[in-house]
Amino acid sequence: MKLMNENHSTIKLCDYMVSPEGWGRSQGREVYGKLIDFVEANPGVTIFKISLEGVRRVDFSFASEALIELARRYRGRKAFYFSTPIDPDMIENLDAAAEKKGQPLMVWNKDEYSIIGMNPSQGASDALKFALQHESIRAAEFVSANPKVSIANASMKFKQLWQQGFLLRREDISGSGGTEYVYYRIK
Amino acid sequence: MIDAAVRLLSLLNQLDLCSRRVILEFEEGEIGAMGYLNRMGFFDHLSPNVEVSPERPTYSGADRYGGMNASLVEIARINPKNRDQNLLSRLTEALMQSCGHRGDAAELEGAAWTIFAELIDNIFSHSQTPIDGYAALQLYQRGNNLSVAVSDSGLGIMETLRPTLKTESPTLARLSDLELLVEIFRQGISRHGADRGCGLKGSAAKAIKFRAKLDVRLPTSRVLLVPSEDGYRPNTAYCYDSLPLIWGTHICFNFSLH
Repeated sequence: MKLMNENHSTIKLCDYMVSPEGWGRSQGREVYGKLIDFVEANPGVTIFKISLEGVRRVDFSFASEALIELARRYRGRKAFYFSTPIDPDMIENLDAAAEKKGQPLMVWNKDEYSIIGMNPSQGASDALKFALQHESIRAAEFVSANPKVSIANASMKFKQLWQQGFLLRREDISGSGGTEYVYYRIK
Repeated sequence: MIDAAVRLLSLLNQLDLCSRRVILEFEEGEIGAMGYLNRMGFFDHLSPNVEVSPERPTYSGADRYGGMNASLVEIARINPKNRDQNLLSRLTEALMQSCGHRGDAAELEGAAWTIFAELIDNIFSHSQTPIDGYAALQLYQRGNNLSVAVSDSGLGIMETLRPTLKTESPTLARLSDLELLVEIFRQGISRHGADRGCGLKGSAAKAIKFRAKLDVRLPTSRVLLVPSEDGYRPNTAYCYDSLPLIWGTHICFNFSLH
């Protein structure tokens, strides 16, 4: 089975913009269309790093239409993340736009991360923290590390995190022959 | 007072569009308000049908003195049919020439750029205006205050929002104009649904960091929002009703730069 990071690509946002400053809904929608074309042209890729190199600024409306809408469209199937360094003002605008659409997005700084847009529920935050320390995990592994959590409860937490856009997942066959999900961090 | 100037400009151009005869009388001539308005480019944007007494300035003060004064004043035209991609850069670069030395210059530049971006984009997206809108900024002489204003002659924020709220959000629809305006800037409300409307909310969040007062002129009312500890709230707002009709939405953030 291929690991998720083998299906990884980078989107250099400035290549799709008419200027280093992205502002306004109409410009955001134009870029959104181009980004969809790129994603669809790479059907085997599930995780995209969005590089903001060369982008000077983005406002809320542009960020919302071009980037957050993209992440929301593919939620659960493909995922997008940012990596530092990012201008604090740009992060603030991305965060506000993502929050309004209820779409979480990872921002990685090597092995450290922050999440913009929304935080996981209190009950699922431990599960997410655990998942982000590993390239991929199964609910059973989380239960092994946290014996007080039942397998059913762990499965529910991971499913919720996947549905909300914090993680990706793929079906696999469990040791007993049944279906088991493998959850992947978005990095 | 640049917000008053662009509101006046919008009003005069609206009256002209309605075929009203308008005469502007300046009793003190160029040494008074007329000279101030000329310096900021007021007459460059005023409809040629509006009469000016004693006479229109023979030159554009904005062209002649632009960039030569420590107290920066700029008015830029926003034509919804002809999007000027460089407008935001020009406005914020002009601002940074005057206050780029400040410790918080980057944050101030980001706030001004984002506010202009969102407010100007609202003109393109919502106002359905046949008359140009205006973006303006003024940095006051001692550099302690900055006004960022955007004015359009469209339908007005309440007129575009309220019809949708009746069906989509009856709770919000029951709010007064003042309460609804506060919520537009606090939680972000859009006629396009709950996942839109972060532009004005985000702009307000940036302005709050500079303790900015927010002045909104609606067709017949004006709301002045003063920041409290947790942002803009109805109980710290001043509302003026039954004002003379000016179509559109006219928003001004007054930053305190101490």
